[in-house]
Amino acid sequence: MATDPAAVGQEFYAGLRQYYSAAEIVELGSFIGFNLGFHTFFGTLKFYPMFAPDGRLVNQQESARIYGDAPASLVGAGRG
Amino acid sequence: MPCIEPLAPGEIRDPELRALIERCERLGVPDSLFPRILARVPDYARALLRAMLISHAEGNVDHKLKEIIRVQLARRAADPYFAGLRSAKAMADGLDEAAIAAGCDDYERSPRFSEAEKWALRYADQMYLNPASVDAAFYAGMKQHYSEAQIMELGAFIALHYGMQVFMRTLANGVPASATSEA
Repeated sequence: MATDPAAVGQEFYAGLRQYYSAAEIVELGSFIGFNLGFHTFFGTLKFYPMFAPDGRLVNQQESARIYGDAPASLVGAGRG
Repeated sequence: MPCIEPLAPGEIRDPELRALIERCERLGVPDSLFPRILARVPDYARALLRAMLISHAEGNVDHKLKEIIRVQLARRAADPYFAGLRSAKAMADGLDEAAIAAGCDDYERSPRFSEAEKWALRYADQMYLNPASVDAAFYAGMKQHYSEAQIMELGAFIALHYGMQVFMRTLANGVPASATSEA
């Protein structure tokens, strides 16, 4: 849904129905759609973690200095 | 019929959900089809429909501008269902198809839109086309025309509606457009 929505069609849904009820598929689909929309929005806002690695509460400026431009939380997101 | 069949109206017995669906039908966005699919998960349906209605039809950013943005996003998501819907409230307030078409096309050069409206259209346009361009400088530009509350209102509206459009697009993939139209 996030990278190739054209691939998620009737055949794909038929495959999902082998394992999930219609209600579960709607639950998954709306959850994914919600996260797809909001994570991109949040990404533009440049949030940084509220806590330093040692557990201290830090402001956004200090957090940006600690975590830099490539947060470890994005490793494995296919973004290099 | 979409890939997940909507519940029949008579199968939806939760009064709060029925009221939300009636409100959707009155606004026209969404009509009852998407809500009746969501109704398979009533807790989700109540929360999502309430958020969709509030973010679109309430708040402090012009509803007609949001309607143009919503159609622009639906076209970007290649979702014929949401792209084909129109807000009855926006149309009653004077929005027309020419303005929607202009907002989905080269709005940057269009004399129809104020600088503030172009920033909002650009925000939606770039959010999913090129999110890296929506950076601190971009937000500084938006703040020349909108309060931070209005920017959050727009951002949340864009994120929620785009996310639901992508989901609905997958439900309608390979399905004739007439099967997802209630008109």
